[in-house]
Amino acid sequence: MSLQGALRRSFLLLQEQQGVWGSILQECDSLAESLGNLGEQMGGLARVRLSDTPLRVFPDLQERLRFQLVQEADLLLQRLRGRMSDLQSVRDSISNQASAVLLLYEDAADTLDLAALSRRSSVVPSAADMLEWLQDAERYYRQQFLQRKILLQTLRLEDLSQVEGFPQRWKTLESPDSEQRITDTLCRLSFFMESQ
Amino acid sequence: MPPLRLLSVDPSDRGSQRCRLGPGLMSTLGLRLGSPLLVSLPGGSCLCTAWPRPDLAEGFIQMDLKCFSPGLTSGLPAHLTLDPVQLSPLPCSKLKRVKVTVIVQSHDFKKHTHSSLLHEFVKDMLRGVYVHREYVVNMEDFNTDIRYVRIVWVGPDPAAAAGVITSKTALEIIEVQTVQHYKSLLLKEVAPPLGGLEEVTASLREMLQLPLFYPSTLTSLGVSCPRGVLLVGPPGVGKTLLVRRVVMEVGASLVVVRGPEVVGSRPGESEETLRAVFENARSAAEEGPCVLFLDELDSLFPRRSGSSSAENRLVAQLLTLMDGMSRSDRFLIIGATNRPDSLDPALRRPGRFDREVIIGAPTLLQRKAILTVLCERMPVCPTVNMAELAQITTGYVGADLSALCREAAMHALRENIKGSGQQLVEMKHFQEGLKAVGPSCLRGSLGRTDLSPVLWEQIGGLEEVKTKLRQSIEWPMRHPEAFVRLGLRRPRGVLLYGPPGCAKTTLVKAAATSSHCAFLSVSGADLYSPYVGDSEKALAQLFQQARACAPCLLFLDEIDTLIGSRSDGGAPNSVQTRLLSVLLNEMDGIGLKTVERRGTERILQAEGVEQSHTDEELECQEVCNKDVMVVAATNRPSSLDSALLRPGRLDHVIYVPPPDLQARLAILKVCTKSMPVDSDVRLEELAASTELYSGADLENLCKEAALLALLEENMEASSIRHTHFLQSISKMSPSLTAQQISAYLLSPQ
Repeated sequence: MSLQGALRRSFLLLQEQQGVWGSILQECDSLAESLGNLGEQMGGLARVRLSDTPLRVFPDLQERLRFQLVQEADLLLQRLRGRMSDLQSVRDSISNQASAVLLLYEDAADTLDLAALSRRSSVVPSAADMLEWLQDAERYYRQQFLQRKILLQTLRLEDLSQVEGFPQRWKTLESPDSEQRITDTLCRLSFFMESQ
Repeated sequence: MPPLRLLSVDPSDRGSQRCRLGPGLMSTLGLRLGSPLLVSLPGGSCLCTAWPRPDLAEGFIQMDLKCFSPGLTSGLPAHLTLDPVQLSPLPCSKLKRVKVTVIVQSHDFKKHTHSSLLHEFVKDMLRGVYVHREYVVNMEDFNTDIRYVRIVWVGPDPAAAAGVITSKTALEIIEVQTVQHYKSLLLKEVAPPLGGLEEVTASLREMLQLPLFYPSTLTSLGVSCPRGVLLVGPPGVGKTLLVRRVVMEVGASLVVVRGPEVVGSRPGESEETLRAVFENARSAAEEGPCVLFLDELDSLFPRRSGSSSAENRLVAQLLTLMDGMSRSDRFLIIGATNRPDSLDPALRRPGRFDREVIIGAPTLLQRKAILTVLCERMPVCPTVNMAELAQITTGYVGADLSALCREAAMHALRENIKGSGQQLVEMKHFQEGLKAVGPSCLRGSLGRTDLSPVLWEQIGGLEEVKTKLRQSIEWPMRHPEAFVRLGLRRPRGVLLYGPPGCAKTTLVKAAATSSHCAFLSVSGADLYSPYVGDSEKALAQLFQQARACAPCLLFLDEIDTLIGSRSDGGAPNSVQTRLLSVLLNEMDGIGLKTVERRGTERILQAEGVEQSHTDEELECQEVCNKDVMVVAATNRPSSLDSALLRPGRLDHVIYVPPPDLQARLAILKVCTKSMPVDSDVRLEELAASTELYSGADLENLCKEAALLALLEENMEASSIRHTHFLQSISKMSPSLTAQQISAYLLSPQ
């Protein structure tokens, strides 16, 4: 059955992309951490009065330091955005796969009986379940990507508290439950995926 | 088909727009996996995609509310059963264009997010969602600042109201609103009505709307619109409700300041919160009209005292914030209080709280309006007359009336449960409710008395006095139109004087029973206090309360001891003389305090518009009976101050004479009504032989005779014989003397 085949292919892809997604996120975490550090430095710089320290002999030190920090932050943001485009490609490949499978189902829907679709066995879940899980996974990645994108795009370097709190907010976006649910789904499907 | 039970949505389905059904039902409806489905629910409908339940059970339905009509914004009711006919498949095509309004959480997000970015986000969020025209898409599952998207228009096919958004759909964002503003717009459609406050509502509405509708006119006139309103009124008249109502009507957003939220423990924290509140209001005002509502103003910003307490700083902060409002800040500050005198005076000048709106206890017509509104949604029996109900609820404020209606409904419900099968709320239920709910104007008042009802018939004789009392108390209530026609005013006060024991107090009781006034009675124990000035204040407050629930009878028994006279050589500065001056002032003073205003001044005039007869009558009554009537009783009229007895104060001075022959006979008849009197008793004879007996003496006589009968015939006495009466008369002597009576006849004034 071609639907079965398409589903199998989709889940194999999902399995592969899940690993990719995780590794990209790990890179992002360290970048977010550095950005938070820079934010703290900027905050410190804004609070200190250089004219009261021995460093007052250097002209324009505050502006220079600030410029340097902002430049650094910009660089970090650029790298983060680069990672975001990697994440986007992961999301896109999953989305495309999911919509292709759904399209396939729509085309064949007239010939398929709902009872047949919802019939499951001990090793193979029903097609309805699998379609649903695929949609769930697609929605999860889409949501994750969007949340991270909004966080990154609405970040303003002028707002120091925002920059300082960036790593925490980045971290709170993680949703281990949903991640676990996808892993569970893939485990449940392992027999199905192996039975070529 | 069996009905479907609505269960709450599975957490893993949240945001998926799925509607979980049994596969059997799906086949019957001809649904495929993921086909769009319109579910109509009480309050609105919801667009979902159909999926079989994981356990394939029939008879249940679970819905993720993703796209729904605005009526469902507050969520689904629990315990709902749906009929399968409420589900209908809806063919959806791919949309080419869609116009939306985006609703975001905070002003900050709205301000700092570029429109192209927002467009990108919203488009990403809406991809794959089935939408319907005029519906709202919930975006809360994304956990971002973008909360809802309202679909305004879908294209290209004008006939199709619904469709699915794909990556190729062109999206147009018409407007960005905040959640607060959106919710206030939603509420506007379901505003509950408010009775009897039309004038105040209109003036508040004008203040909110003028600067919005005619901004250029106002600038060309060079004036700024008032920006602060102080609502003053006793508790329960509906100040808070009024503000909420007006805000809803105008469609303004409301920022409420609650006392405990503002006050913080750290020094400077309260001021900081207050500043944040103003900032909040300012940003809300950018979207449309906005009202900053400070409830219970007196507790937050009391009069500043000498010491440097935390309240002083808070008041100062409010003053600076109110002064710092620039003309471009288009929000209105409304403060509400029931104790305007304890506010800081600096708050009450133009430029801060420009206007003061006084909402008094509702008048008769206002009460009728309130009752009509309250009873609109109750199954009230058509025989219940709102005007009559309004008449007997003197002194009730809006909160009391609503409590009364609730009580009445509860009584009706209880009766219904008992099985009489009546669904309607009748007048008797309201009367039961009246026993439980008292007027809050009089709560905690000094002279609140529970009097046992006395009928005119229970007082023997004294026909002339009764008529006079009826004239001054009952007539203005019963026939106000006649009084108005002849230009009569109801008397301010009545003085009853006469020898002791001649039923003065009982007469007043009967008068209070027959008129539906509020009745206050005060004695020396209530008024006198060891603190200087306390008694005067108590008396003034008593009058204030009595006026708040006018028409009202205020009874001062033994007025000669209560209120002194200035002429009898007593100490010129004694408490009695001070009380006298208070009483004189209150009865015929220069006017009322402004805070005591009730309703609007009504002037009766011949208008061209034909009014219904009952309305006219009510209006007459309202105009006629807005004062407090003082009824005083004394047996030493000579020791009263002459200023008290002039017309305009105690206008009617009525002498209650000792009973004459006829009266004594009547009294004896009344007294022996409940006694088994033997047939040989000749009351006429008894009446003739009891010259100089007062009413109290005669009552005592009957009692004595009955006791005598018991004494003589052991406890088995079945009737009282004439001899018993005669024996008692021989033992008793009258309490009045001819001298006394002649003294009364000489000294009316």
